[in-house]
Amino acid sequence: MSRRDGRSVPDSSVPDGRGPGGGGGAAAVTRHTVLALAAFAMLFPLLWALSGSFKPGTDVYSSSPFPLPGTLENYRYALREFPIGRLLLNTFVTAIGVTALHLVAGVLAAWSFVRFAHRGQGVLLAAVTVALVVPPQTLIIPHFLMITEVGLRDTFVGLVVPQLSHCALAVLLLREHTRSIPPTLIAAASLDGASPFETLRHIVLPLLRPALGAVGIVVFITTWNEYLWPSLAAPSPEHTTIQMGLQLFETSEGPEHGPMLAAAMLATVPVIVAYLLASRRIADAFLQAGLR
Amino acid sequence: MTTLEAGASTFEARGHATKRAPAAVVRARLTPWAYQAPLLIALVVWVYGPLVFTAVLSVLDWDLTSPDKTFVGVDNYRQLVEEPEFPRALARTGLYVLALLPFATVLPMALAIMLWKRPGKASDRYRSLLFMPVVLAPVATAVTWRFILDPLGGVVNSTFGAVGLPEQDWLGNPDTAIWAISLITASRFVALNILLYGAALAALDRRAFDAARVDGATEWEITRHLVVPQLVGTTALLAFLCAVFAGQWTFTNIAVLTQGGPANSTDNVYYRLYAYAFTFFEAGTGAAAAVLIVVVLTALFGLSTLVRRRRVTS
Repeated sequence: MSRRDGRSVPDSSVPDGRGPGGGGGAAAVTRHTVLALAAFAMLFPLLWALSGSFKPGTDVYSSSPFPLPGTLENYRYALREFPIGRLLLNTFVTAIGVTALHLVAGVLAAWSFVRFAHRGQGVLLAAVTVALVVPPQTLIIPHFLMITEVGLRDTFVGLVVPQLSHCALAVLLLREHTRSIPPTLIAAASLDGASPFETLRHIVLPLLRPALGAVGIVVFITTWNEYLWPSLAAPSPEHTTIQMGLQLFETSEGPEHGPMLAAAMLATVPVIVAYLLASRRIADAFLQAGLR
Repeated sequence: MTTLEAGASTFEARGHATKRAPAAVVRARLTPWAYQAPLLIALVVWVYGPLVFTAVLSVLDWDLTSPDKTFVGVDNYRQLVEEPEFPRALARTGLYVLALLPFATVLPMALAIMLWKRPGKASDRYRSLLFMPVVLAPVATAVTWRFILDPLGGVVNSTFGAVGLPEQDWLGNPDTAIWAISLITASRFVALNILLYGAALAALDRRAFDAARVDGATEWEITRHLVVPQLVGTTALLAFLCAVFAGQWTFTNIAVLTQGGPANSTDNVYYRLYAYAFTFFEAGTGAAAAVLIVVVLTALFGLSTLVRRRRVTS
């Protein structure tokens, strides 16, 4: 949980690519077998859903690992019979909204923590840290009552704004990054007569850009995957998210597994794409998040 | 560092200068809070306010919608302690922690050490694959598992049937459901903790191990006697985090797959809280459960901070 740990990142840039000891063929085979099996076991649901989503009709129950001949029927059916497109759009808008709120609150607070040594800062920092460990499930009752009371149930605002309750993580991560900016840079701007806001805008923000990207992606993915709050705050298909939508396939006529797997893939693909684009940075951001 | 100090004293000089004009002093005092305002509002309105609200709700008898709320004192708490559901849910939360503990410690440690022993492109690829369960949507994964474990057409049962093992209604049988939910949640712990062990390993000095190797130590001896002992602190931390997060991370799988059933066999304290409030519409009882959870967690975190401080000072 210490700050220094948070900086250390899995080191793969060690020039010695061969690594220590052993090197024997048998050992390498064992190692690759174990690691490949572990990866397969952990990603099995994803692979099985991917394969199943292309199997036509009742073939979805076949144990064959490959969907041959494959079909897009499940995807077409899911998109035609269920408002999947709408739900994906809702989820995207919600995730962007929550991410924007987190980043704005996070950057402003982080800058205040680093730039001003004001009274009450210690208490506020403690309050942020404690907020980090409050389980989201314990806040749903008051959140639900609050948005219902002000008539925001089943609206985007009601869905997005209460998710600011998880902003502690973004604040603390951005504070760490802001602290690592050389103080001389900030002091120099100050000497040149820049106001704190100008310093933030022209010196700090450009330097924070990679951190904002990483923290933003983490918040985006977390919000995209959120299930409990959308199920309470925005139950109707006009406003709810794709995670809720995956429940639609448990229809009264029994589960429609093929289209459900197709929808699950559609719900997963954006996150996988985001992950593959920046897997290292996402892993680093989660690493810092996890060590807190 | 002299420039740094100069910078700091410049801040102070400016602070003193503003003291001459009272309006400017007020402004200087308020500026930091203006920046903190969004955070402050978020914390007050969406975290601490709701916690107080929860505490108030916990002494009321209320169905979430009707206008009548009755003050019932500690009755909701008494109900939680005296009726069997909540203590059982608490015990099951402990069972989830125990079931998930190996997936939070031993397994990711072994995999992280394998990856660390041979840095390179292949290890990097494995690393990104093994991390993926953390970013996958829990609901998408859960509904896929429902399909995989389907008692009639699921691949697990058809495989079991083909090799002559007994087929099961994995999520519908009270004896197997809690283990199924644990196993479904496990990949998230393994994935995240491989990364965290990897960070701890990256901080170790490889030269010490090379020296042992030159002295004729086998790879197994090095791992067992030199590497693992240095991961004790990380393991303690990850075991603690497992104790805290096992209940929260199983929640989505319980909500999607079993709704606490069959026969309450997969219930945990978080699902119980949710069920009190949103299935049985007993807002007060749910709020009392939330208060108990927050109190226990605060005590756990306080304890862990104390332990860590004592380890640092002694």
